[in-house]
Amino acid sequence: MDKILRINVGADGGPEFKTETLGDYAGLGGRGLTSAIVSKEVPPSCHPLGEDNKLIIAPGLLSGSAAAMSGRISVGCKSPLTGGIKEANSGGQPSQMLGRLGYAAIVLEGQPKTDSLCKVFINKDGVKITEDNSLCMLGNYAVVDKMKAEYGEKIGVISIGPAGEQKLAGASIAFSDMELRPTRHAGRGGVGAVMGSKGIKVIVVDDAGCSVRSPAKPDDFKAANKEFVAGLRKHPVSGEGLPAYGTNVLTNVINEAGAYPTNNFQTGQFAGCEKISGETQAETENARGGEGSATHGCHRGCVIRCSGTYYDKDGNYLTKQPEYETVWAHGGNCGIDDLDAIAQLDRLDDDFGLDTIEMGATIAVAMEAGIAEFGDAEAAIKLVKEVGAGTPLGKILGSGAAVAGKVLGVERIPVVKGQAMPAYDPRGIMGIGVTYATSTMGADHTAGYAVGSNIMGIGGKTDALSPVGQAELSKNLQIATAAIDSTGMCLFIAFPLLDQPETFQALIDIINGFSGASLTADDVTELGKSILKNEREFNAAAGMTNKADRLPDYFKKEKLAPHNITFQVSDEELDQVHNY
Amino acid sequence: MKNQRVGRLNLKVAGDKIHFFFSLLRQGFMVEAPVGCSVKTMLNNTLGMDDNYVEDRIKTIFLDAKPVDDIKTACINDGSVLALSGAMPGLAGATLRRGGQLASFRGSISCRSGGKNALSQEGHVVVKLFNLLVNDLGRIFLKQGILIKKKQLEDFFGSRTADFWPSLKSEYLDSHKINLDTWSEIKFPDLLLLVAEPGEES
Repeated sequence: MDKILRINVGADGGPEFKTETLGDYAGLGGRGLTSAIVSKEVPPSCHPLGEDNKLIIAPGLLSGSAAAMSGRISVGCKSPLTGGIKEANSGGQPSQMLGRLGYAAIVLEGQPKTDSLCKVFINKDGVKITEDNSLCMLGNYAVVDKMKAEYGEKIGVISIGPAGEQKLAGASIAFSDMELRPTRHAGRGGVGAVMGSKGIKVIVVDDAGCSVRSPAKPDDFKAANKEFVAGLRKHPVSGEGLPAYGTNVLTNVINEAGAYPTNNFQTGQFAGCEKISGETQAETENARGGEGSATHGCHRGCVIRCSGTYYDKDGNYLTKQPEYETVWAHGGNCGIDDLDAIAQLDRLDDDFGLDTIEMGATIAVAMEAGIAEFGDAEAAIKLVKEVGAGTPLGKILGSGAAVAGKVLGVERIPVVKGQAMPAYDPRGIMGIGVTYATSTMGADHTAGYAVGSNIMGIGGKTDALSPVGQAELSKNLQIATAAIDSTGMCLFIAFPLLDQPETFQALIDIINGFSGASLTADDVTELGKSILKNEREFNAAAGMTNKADRLPDYFKKEKLAPHNITFQVSDEELDQVHNY
Repeated sequence: MKNQRVGRLNLKVAGDKIHFFFSLLRQGFMVEAPVGCSVKTMLNNTLGMDDNYVEDRIKTIFLDAKPVDDIKTACINDGSVLALSGAMPGLAGATLRRGGQLASFRGSISCRSGGKNALSQEGHVVVKLFNLLVNDLGRIFLKQGILIKKKQLEDFFGSRTADFWPSLKSEYLDSHKINLDTWSEIKFPDLLLLVAEPGEES
């Protein structure tokens, strides 16, 4: 991966492209690369849908190699949802394919001069950009079908649905999976709207004729990869719980903890949770059968296989196995306890190109406003269809929870920096609340692996039972985060890494075996810090002060049942998180 | 609850279909046991789980919705709800793990030690088994019998899909043969010991 593909969509006569070497960006991948390009090349004060914003699609450093779990891809830009920097990542096949084609990143820049839509085709022979208005307002499934008909079945597809074309702030970018379905999404922050603003509907990737990327030290790489895979397989989370039940295994547990946001964060336990739990979901999928039903990977080379395939009651494919956050957002958070309805909502989100967390949170806000009753699955489905159809109400809902709440006059809007909170109530698990508040990305459950726990210690809440000091803990978490972010590896390798030192070492050895470098854990930590520093500086220049690092006020005032607690971390403590 | 009549519902189930009953274990069943003891004592003595199993498999424990870190000091009381889970994914999963490195993240809801009552006092505890543990232990508990309320049983039967009923091979309420195809017409006692095990028609 030694080149960047830049597509200037605003060129005279239509989009034009060039490839260039990595230059100053050499050695970066995934989030490290997207955030570096945004920080360096995007004016922080620009409009997210304007000509100065850029959309960067970057495979991880190890994507395209034989390293297990290395198929994640990052998408970066200035976010139309948060107004700050954004990195959203996804599984699927395109990351590995772009890696094999040698592209470290695709950068979409400029502003189209017409309203036409374009498709981009990339293979070993080069790049072709074609105007194709027949794709206008097509859902992601239909787009993939058209691309299959045109380019064959051995492609990867990166696309936006009607939400992205409408430039809605809840719009995602879809990445096709192993079955060539648009089920994997860079969901958060409205990245799909930025792709829509560039007039690019779809990027088709074909890596035919390309080889798996070769490691610099093949024997070292192979041995480390073997050790790494063994570590993932022996850990109870990555080797047992996730394959059996998927991420939705968390539903019963978070609910039992009283931290399961229910009916728009009104309470911490959902009476219908067992009906939508991961265990029930897996039993349903197993009973209905079908290929890849309850245990399936989201990309080739995945050994955890936390995904699955959801078939309807008649055995017809409906969608991929909805993840925990999706089941929560469209389920408990809306008072809905019907797995089939939730799967249908997931399918609609994927097809329209919408972030499932943002949409579920937005519908819950709409329910609180009286647009529909909590628990009314039919109404929820109808509301998502409004977004796909581009009705006035749909445009409001597709713009996310913050906008919808403001329009509908709702006070309880669970967002930070304009982005909806995921499936953990910050009053129940305050450490995650610290992450929601202080993440550069807005409320994000995946961003906090490197920050947060130290502040809990400063606040006097450090658990004396913890066997590791907070400073050491924070350091370990930062190492894990930086390693994952720079490699494009799936986040779920984090806990085997933390629990099993030999597995962490194996990851370092994979990186070194592949690149020929001699990175140490400290080097990786420094990389993680530099990424966060870049992102913080961008947000500050975009106008975000420490006042943006706060939860909505009601979390400090409204007690959450069953524990009857409020969010208790002070503003002063939050301001210490990024004090490094 | 003391002196309340307990009906005994004996079911033989097609061998590979016993998992149909696992949702009852996840929702919680009652255990009549000495209370005022530690979680560890309950796990070892009442539920019959040895220390190795507890250490290796039960990574997440809730007592009355509070995450437990120290099973030797967390105290079971009459009416307590004890929920047991394997290790969970994600940041939240790691946070809830007992004695985990991220326990401070949920310090405000963690179970504190103390509050022991007199040992050997009899009481009822609701036990929930989640995820990996229900796969490990579900068949054993169902064979021993789980104590559930009539409402729970009726809700369970009411939510079954068509493929459930053919899996039932033999059905007895106390010593009377019954037909659960018409379960809504049966007058169940308020409290039942449900025994479900693999077997054929008898």
